[in-house]
Amino acid sequence: MALRERSFPSQRRNSTTMKRSKANFETWSWFFMRISGLILFFLALIHFSITHIFNDVTTTTVAFVAKRWANPLWRVFDWLLLALGLMHGSNGLRFIMDDYIRTPRRRAFAKAFMYSLSAALFVVGTITIVTYKGTL
Amino acid sequence: MSTRPTIYKGKTGQWAFVLHRISGFLILMFILLHIIDISTINFPSVYASIHRLYGNVFMRTFEVGLLFGLTYHALNGLRVIMIDFFPGVIKNEKRLFVAMFSLSLLLTVVGGVIILKPFFTGRV
Repeated sequence: MALRERSFPSQRRNSTTMKRSKANFETWSWFFMRISGLILFFLALIHFSITHIFNDVTTTTVAFVAKRWANPLWRVFDWLLLALGLMHGSNGLRFIMDDYIRTPRRRAFAKAFMYSLSAALFVVGTITIVTYKGTL
Repeated sequence: MSTRPTIYKGKTGQWAFVLHRISGFLILMFILLHIIDISTINFPSVYASIHRLYGNVFMRTFEVGLLFGLTYHALNGLRVIMIDFFPGVIKNEKRLFVAMFSLSLLLTVVGGVIILKPFFTGRV
């Protein structure tokens, strides 16, 4: 019963027989994935609905983006989606790398590459959202 | 069948996990691509020519796939959260998986019709 043996912070433990494990990085990572996932549930589905369902993808032109980003709240929305999506996604990819890349050297290289790429794209995305000065 | 033991022994939980992992990976790949294509917004002609590609039928089919990945990952994510935070839910884990999978399939079909319709009506 693999599921029963996993120790999640929400599990109640008998304090006399078992010391509660200290919250470490992986505990926070576990918690972050639940919280960010819950927020992304709304952000991602709303974003996809607007750009693919309620508007056809061919109408999401430069003018469409300029009109949306004229309202700073949509920039905040898109930036949150960018930041949380990248963090949730790269942390998920970190789990995948830990599972499938078996030698420590390759794992280190893969993670270094992934963190650099995510950080670079986070900077590119942030610059795009913050500095855009489109005319309607 | 192999005699080697697997963690979940091929039951629904394993498939829910495998699909969650694959869909998550593909969504992340799309996010990376999407950040790049939106960053061309300061070069309107580049943006327009990249963006035209999203309207063709191959990319529309890909968008329907993205919709399935998103809805499945979102709904199965809720299932995982429910299992983690509410101890009783594990008993209904299988039924919950069937419900979430069916709901994501339904949303994909409805959304897929909307996304692909302009192609069949000849608007693109």
